[in-house]
Amino acid sequence: MKYFLYWGCSLEASGVNYLRSLKPVCEALGMEFEEIPDWNCCGASVSYAGANDLAIKVLNARNLALAEKKANYDIIAPCSSCYIQMIKVNHEIQENESLRERVNSILAEDGLAYNGSIRVRHIQDVLFNDIGTEQIKRHVTKPLNGLKVAGYVGCQSVRPYGEYDSVHNPVVQDKLLEALDAKPVPFPKKIQCCGSGIFLPEMDLCLGLVRDILDDAVSHGAEIISTVCPMCAMNLEMYQDRINEKYGTDFDIPIVYLTQLMAVAFGMDLKRDAALHHNVIPPENILKAAIGN
Amino acid sequence: MEKKAALYICTGCGIGDALDIDSLKELATDDLGVPICKDHPFLCGAEGVDLIKKDIQDEGVNTIIIAGCSGRVNYDVFNFGPDKIVERINLREQVAWCQPPKEEDTQMLAEDYLRMGCSKANDTEPLEPYIAEEEYSKDILIVGGGVAGMTAALEIAKAGRKAILVEKEDKLGGFLGKMKKLITMPYKDLSDTGAEDLIKEVNENDNIKVYTSATVAKISGSPGLFTAEISADGNSVQERVGSVIQATGWTPYDASKLNLGYGKIKDVITNVEMEEMAAKGKITRPSDGKEVKNVLFVQCAGSRDPEHLPYCSSYCCLASLKQAAYVKEQNPEAVNYIVYKDMRTVGQAEDFYRKAQEDGDVFIRGSIVNINENGGKLSVETDDELLGERVNIEEIDLVVLAVGMVPTSQPDQIPRIQAPEGTEGADEEGMIEVMPDSGFFAKSALNLEYRQGPELPTLKYGFPDSHFICFPYETRRTGIYTAGCVRRPMEVVKAKEDAAGAAMKAIQCCEASSQGVALHPRAGDISYPEFNMQRCTQCKRCTEECPFGAINEDEKGNPLPNPTRCRRCGVCMGACPERIISFKNYSVGMIGNMIKAIEVPEEDEEKPRVIAFVCENDAYPAIDMAAIKRMQWSPYVRFIPVRCLGSINLVWVADAMSKGIDGLLFLGCRHGDDYQCHFIKGSELAETRLGKVSETLDRLALEAERVKFLEIGITDYNRIPTIINEFMETIDELGPNPYKGW
Amino acid sequence: METNTSYDPSFAREVFENVDSGEEIKMCMQCGMCAASCPLREHMDYPPRQIFSMIRAGKRDMVLNANSIMMCTSCYTCQVRCPRGIPVIDVMHGLAHYAISKGILTRKDTAVFGREFWQQIYKTGRIDEKDLSRRYFFADGIITGIKKSLQMARMGIIMLLHGRMKILPEKKIKGIKSLRSMLDKAMQTGKGGSEV
Ligand code: SF4
Ligand code: SF4
Ligand code: SF4
Repeated sequence: MKYFLYWGCSLEASGVNYLRSLKPVCEALGMEFEEIPDWNCCGASVSYAGANDLAIKVLNARNLALAEKKANYDIIAPCSSCYIQMIKVNHEIQENESLRERVNSILAEDGLAYNGSIRVRHIQDVLFNDIGTEQIKRHVTKPLNGLKVAGYVGCQSVRPYGEYDSVHNPVVQDKLLEALDAKPVPFPKKIQCCGSGIFLPEMDLCLGLVRDILDDAVSHGAEIISTVCPMCAMNLEMYQDRINEKYGTDFDIPIVYLTQLMAVAFGMDLKRDAALHHNVIPPENILKAAIGN
Repeated sequence: MEKKAALYICTGCGIGDALDIDSLKELATDDLGVPICKDHPFLCGAEGVDLIKKDIQDEGVNTIIIAGCSGRVNYDVFNFGPDKIVERINLREQVAWCQPPKEEDTQMLAEDYLRMGCSKANDTEPLEPYIAEEEYSKDILIVGGGVAGMTAALEIAKAGRKAILVEKEDKLGGFLGKMKKLITMPYKDLSDTGAEDLIKEVNENDNIKVYTSATVAKISGSPGLFTAEISADGNSVQERVGSVIQATGWTPYDASKLNLGYGKIKDVITNVEMEEMAAKGKITRPSDGKEVKNVLFVQCAGSRDPEHLPYCSSYCCLASLKQAAYVKEQNPEAVNYIVYKDMRTVGQAEDFYRKAQEDGDVFIRGSIVNINENGGKLSVETDDELLGERVNIEEIDLVVLAVGMVPTSQPDQIPRIQAPEGTEGADEEGMIEVMPDSGFFAKSALNLEYRQGPELPTLKYGFPDSHFICFPYETRRTGIYTAGCVRRPMEVVKAKEDAAGAAMKAIQCCEASSQGVALHPRAGDISYPEFNMQRCTQCKRCTEECPFGAINEDEKGNPLPNPTRCRRCGVCMGACPERIISFKNYSVGMIGNMIKAIEVPEEDEEKPRVIAFVCENDAYPAIDMAAIKRMQWSPYVRFIPVRCLGSINLVWVADAMSKGIDGLLFLGCRHGDDYQCHFIKGSELAETRLGKVSETLDRLALEAERVKFLEIGITDYNRIPTIINEFMETIDELGPNPYKGW
Repeated sequence: METNTSYDPSFAREVFENVDSGEEIKMCMQCGMCAASCPLREHMDYPPRQIFSMIRAGKRDMVLNANSIMMCTSCYTCQVRCPRGIPVIDVMHGLAHYAISKGILTRKDTAVFGREFWQQIYKTGRIDEKDLSRRYFFADGIITGIKKSLQMARMGIIMLLHGRMKILPEKKIKGIKSLRSMLDKAMQTGKGGSEV
């Protein structure tokens, strides 16, 4: 099956381990990817400071138009921020004809137009609904043997549309983890926000949010936290020492991408495919112990 | 009639596994003298029923005693026609399902129930319906020609009956006729009121006779047999009717009682005045006749306020939203401010609220502090709860007070009585308001010739008393129903539904009365109370206590029963000190004999005996339900169902106690403000009566704790085991009744 | 309740007309679900519900200076819970954009960060995280910038060591010229004030 992979800016830098692991895992599952030619940034959730709503819509419509022009594949946006920006604009353009006309009149500057024929998908959606847990289980050669994982869904990967999972109590990530023979722990804060795009400028306030999330995961017995968003991963992983300093805690829990866990469970190379060496809090030992290496 | 009894024991549903059936049969034939006694593994199946039918045919059996499931189920299966007596003994729910199988106590319980059931069957007489000599009328009188009254008349006419509609004004229509538009539910657009069409339809219908400028001067008689005297345009006309619907509607709460400028500032008006003004054309300022631009609506003007109308009238939020739409329609630039406590868009009107928001109406949650007039404009000071500030809303042209609905039945004056010293809420003279709990106080509408007063008894706030959730349209006068806003506040859509409901009830009443069967809640019951007048002492207890005002009085104080007004609760039977009131299948003596049929073991056997008198409507099904859930309790309790706890006669206490029964439980419905008694007053009367039981107990030198009254709702089934077992503990502590074996 | 203010509908009109998604607040029924859902609610002076109430009352300065409009983490919790289906986030972002374009920078760091973010998209079409942080830290001048970035330096080095920072700066996308003219046009014709 062919998809556009819109990996976005973060996956080229801070989220490189996401992209590195996602590709071999998906390919092993029979997925093929195309890049949207000359794509631009989605605007993420903070551009509003400089741009109005229409400009941000145009930003995303351009990507959609470029994709539509090339082929009729679904777009996979692994970064939750890209996903939400793109799916939102897509919905709005599909549902609101006058907006579509307005956006198209602007896209016409470069001879582009978007007709609304593309579907925007999150990677969890595709893994769960197009591939399915049965298929995934068949690829598991190194089961995670009950590794206790807190599946952190975050906000923007399911909300607000809830196209493939509940917006109030999502379960898809836990089901995918179960397919790897991991044991998802109960984790009420799995949809509590980590601070997202304003973490950096509002760090003082947001550290508390992350502390709550980490605390919830750890106190429910998690040995590791999985994520599906480069921003979540960054916010949960990079500031644990600051949180420990500020709140007197002692968090030191690895944060990995769901796709990294999949690569490990698929028996792939821990460095080349699972890209574990990119993680700042090393997950290798825990994972090796889980798969019995 | 020569009685021939037969007992059928069902052994299905676990009964056969729990009990020794053969010894039960032996008991019946040898000790109780029942000539025919059979068992069957599936009595309610076709084969089992055929077995009974065959005996009726071949053996001439006319008294059928069925020992099996609860009488609350399969009553249709075990119905062999009105001339056959059927007595049900509950061996399934109240023995097999709530007691351990094959135990001595379980068997003894079943034996007692057999004895009690056979005793009752023995005492029961075949039933004959009451049919009056006069001719029955099936026409229906409707008082009030507003939307509810007119709709009820049309519903009745559509059902092929005749309706007689009495309206006090010179034209039909009521409030509906004075309105501009209605909200369509579910909301789309405002629609026409349809009042003219409705009035026309009513006037043109051959089955509806309309009296305008008319009132009801007198209603005498009873359901099926009412005579109504109508004074119309100065003439008096008589109509015979079978039942009555009161749809006299509401009046707006008196806004001058509110401290909101009404009556002082000209541009402060009520929502009713606003509606009438809009219906006539332009919305203008009463002070200078100029068109309005900014309007402020005051919601809950007097409503939900203990000082004024303590309840929500449920229509006023919608009415204000609607009137705000009129204002916008007249001038799209106008601003509507709506100051509210809570916006309550009942029914399917949420979309209408959204529409008002879309229109840009400004909603302010809070309360009014002050309304001032200066320079021809009004300014309104408000405590804005959501802003947390006191705000001043200026440049207002018109203030509309959304006042609530007062039922037309509300007594002009709430009766006050001298309260016992120290009563909370009493005034300086020690007087306190009481519930106008009889038909003497409500405003004139029906003028009934009833011993208990000319109008429907009202409850709190002056609405006619009926259990408005469980028994809508019913009142405390049989065959007289209420519909529309006199029953409870409502908007037009609901009033129409209400009217249809009351019309159906009224039709049922005409039918049932003419057939001599009871109405709700003992619908279909043929039995009725009979008075053995020779022994009556004219004590008037029955005429006073009947919750439905069924019994009138002659000048000497003799009771004059009206069987078609009767609901067959037996309250009069319980009230009568001479025990002269009885039903063919329910009487003081009959229950007394059942009590006597119980075998009381000797003291040294240490098997106490308790009788529980249980209300058939709530407590009895609660016990069945507990048994269905296989809950268990003491095997020493015998349940005796009663029609209503109000029918208990204190002589039963003496009967039981002198026989050596160790304790008595009385399980009835909740009473008070939110009563659940199907007969309104029954359980309350029972408790009052039991208050006097200590005399009886004193006489016997017994402890008062041996008799206990408890309120049980049908949902309390899970409490049954605890209630019974706790009472058994009390009995254990008190020790055995010394009268055992006398 | 002390302050005595008047209701003034003109600010509400301004918001409906000029703020992205501003007209959506008409449907707010003041239930407070959004306020209860917001992750940073404890730090807000006025939660979303109250902001909407103040708009109706005409409290222009208080609304545009409220810290909350710039504290939205875009988590969508309020939005999925709002019983009236109001896109609360879009309104908050719209208000923030409107305030910033009027030169009000109540949460300066967030405003500067967001603006730098946008500038970079405008310049190259994509985001270079490293460059973005550098610009963000130095937006206030060299000295503060050095202080701030020293605090973050350890993290930067760690990221670099783990290969999670790009060494080469982001190149412009090919269609940058036409992208810019598109964005210019959108900024001019869209709601919410224009400023690039
Ligand atoms: S319907 Fe009337 S009484 Fe009820 S809350 Fe609204 S204004 Fe108040
Ligand atoms: S049985 Fe009930 S309703 Fe009938 S007369 Fe007696 S008390 Fe009244
Ligand atoms: S949740 Fe929605 S309706 Fe409720 S206060 Fe917030 S915005 Fe208003």
